[in-house]
This record gives sequence, structure tokens and C-alpha cells, in this order.
Amino acid sequence: MSVNLADGVTMRYFDAPAQTPENTVPVLLLHGFGTDFDMNWRATGWTQALESAGLRVIGPDLRGHGASDKPRESDAYLPEHFVADLVAMLDESGVERVDVVGYSMGSRLAWELARSEPDRVGRVVLGGFGPKNAFEGTDLADPGSGDTAFDVVYRTVAALPGNDAAALAACARGQAARPFEPDPPLSGSPVLLVSGERDALARGAAELAERCGGEYVEIPRRDHANAVSSKAFKQAVLDFLTDRGGSSGTPVEPGVVKPV
Amino acid sequence: MAQENITFTLPDLGEGLVEATVLEWQVAVGDVIERNAPLVEVETTKSAVVIPSPQAGRVAELHAEEDQVVPVGEPLVTFTVETSDDAPQAGIVGRVPTEEARPARRVRLKPPTD
Repeated sequence: MSVNLADGVTMRYFDAPAQTPENTVPVLLLHGFGTDFDMNWRATGWTQALESAGLRVIGPDLRGHGASDKPRESDAYLPEHFVADLVAMLDESGVERVDVVGYSMGSRLAWELARSEPDRVGRVVLGGFGPKNAFEGTDLADPGSGDTAFDVVYRTVAALPGNDAAALAACARGQAARPFEPDPPLSGSPVLLVSGERDALARGAAELAERCGGEYVEIPRRDHANAVSSKAFKQAVLDFLTDRGGSSGTPVEPGVVKPV
Repeated sequence: MAQENITFTLPDLGEGLVEATVLEWQVAVGDVIERNAPLVEVETTKSAVVIPSPQAGRVAELHAEEDQVVPVGEPLVTFTVETSDDAPQAGIVGRVPTEEARPARRVRLKPPTD
């Protein structure tokens, strides 16, 4: 499915109806920098795990990523444009309210969405994310040229087939133009932070969780690249999302992952 | 009822990747799993993925430990599968000889082009 956005950008997204239609809140999945919905959420087993739990899953290829349009102007990647994209997608899908699960840059955007659209966001999961400036020490005129944690991420994803390195560099600059602001903390939504023990990009995650009155789960022995697929991460999120007084603990048949 | 062991090798993960590191098994020896259920989490130089089970069966042996590097095409897991060759085939009265029930795969032979 796709949605045409205000500034001429077309965004592709995935929307799988719940297997057991109940009053479950859909789960919005926001992928990280340089990946896409399939790589971040499908190949890692997330869509199957959530659908097996009876949840409706929805999620985009964020602008600049996957099968969505990839403008090369930094201004196109300011966080407010991503938020507008997500609101347009939810409107298009007839979804009033979601629980959001983000990873890395997707977590930052989940935060922005919850901040600017509090009525449309229930629970918030921030994976692979901390309050530190992710671009610290990185030369954003030439990302990938240094040895910061972000340079390493950039080099890995810029080489992936289908990615446009120039669009990704523009995306990094657009994100960096609006440094993450942890104040005021998210207080209206239940918040869960999850990250790998060795994730340098998620430093300070436990403190951020505490400031939001939320929980923090650390995945032992995992880093930024491989915490996302871990069973412990999925279990923590499923426990967090399905703890809805009475509806939890219902055994559900294993689901089938549907093609987009 | 007969049993058969089927070994599954690490599939080609694309993009010229030749190996993967086992991060975490999603099953243990003795588990009975469904086809497409999560089998093993592996990491390549590109990404971390969960490989779904190619078939239903009981897990008989895991050929790699966690943190072990497995080359593409090397054994990953062995399943024990029940083969019910005495059971009648669905929709068919009586028994169909096994040779006829399994159509032979047609292979077209072509000379190499170079």
C-alpha cells in the first residue's frame, strides 16, 4: 500500500489486519536509519511474533528508505515531516490510535509522534535508542568518513542494495538539524526502552526510561545491529503491549506472515 | 509409522553472503515445531535475521552452537519427521503406490552456454 504525501513524496507501507479481530490497538512499527520495514521488522521475526499475538501491524518504509521516495534535500528529513507522513498514513488506514514500537531513528520518530500527537499514541517502545546525540563527532558533510558509532552504521547501510547514499546522508543531516530534546519527558504514555548491553548509540536509555516513569530492558551481549532480532526484545515488547487487563495470556494460534 | 531424519543446511542469504553467525536458537532438541515457526536467529555482516523453520518436525540435532560461524550450505539442524506411508492419501480410496504418488521431477538438460 502507499500514501501520497503533501510535498509530493510517496510512502509505501505495510498493513496487516489482526488475525483475531478484537479491540486490540494496532502496533505501528518504525524502522531504523538505512533499513526498511522488511529488513527491520519482517526478516527479524517481528511481524510474525506480533501477528501471532493477534495484533494488527502497520508500518512504513520511512521517506528516504525502502520502496518510498528518496528526496535528497536535507530539509525533507526534518522530524516534523516524518511525523506528518505518519499521521497521513494513519488517516489513510483509518487508524485512530496506535501503540508505537521504534528502533534507533524510528524510536526518535516514535517519541516525536507521541509528543506532537498524544491523542493518537498509546504505549511507546523505544528500541536501540538513548538521549545522547547520535551524530556526536560525525562529519555530516561526509558521513561514513570517520569512526563514530554513527559512521559505522552509515557505512553498513549505505552499501545495502536499494539504498541511496545521498538520500541517507540528507536524512542524517535533517535529523541532526533538530537535536533530540528529552525535556519534557513523555509522561502521558506508558514507555518501555530496550537496547543491547553493547549498544553505544543507546547510552543513557535506562535514565531516559526512569525520567519517563517507564521501564528499561537490557539485552545481554547484544549491540545496536543485533539486539533488534532478539527473542528477549520481542518478549519484553509483547508483555508490555498485551498487558491490558484480561486480554493478556490468551493463547493464539501461530500466524502467517502476509506479503505486502 | 516410520520416521525419517531430514537435515536443513544454512540457506543462501543473498547479497553474496557466504556465512552467518548463530546468535540464538529459537528451539531446543526435542521440541516439536511447526513449519515457518522461528527456528534460529543468525547475524551476517549486513543484518540480523530470524530464519523460519522450513518444515514441521521434532528437532533431533542442532549442528551449531551459539556464536559459531556457519558457512552457507553447511548443516544447521536435523529434524525427525513422521512418514505415514501406510495412511490413505486424502481423497483417494485405497492405496496409491508410492512411486506413482510422487511424481518424478522433470529436468530439462541443456548444454552449457559457454
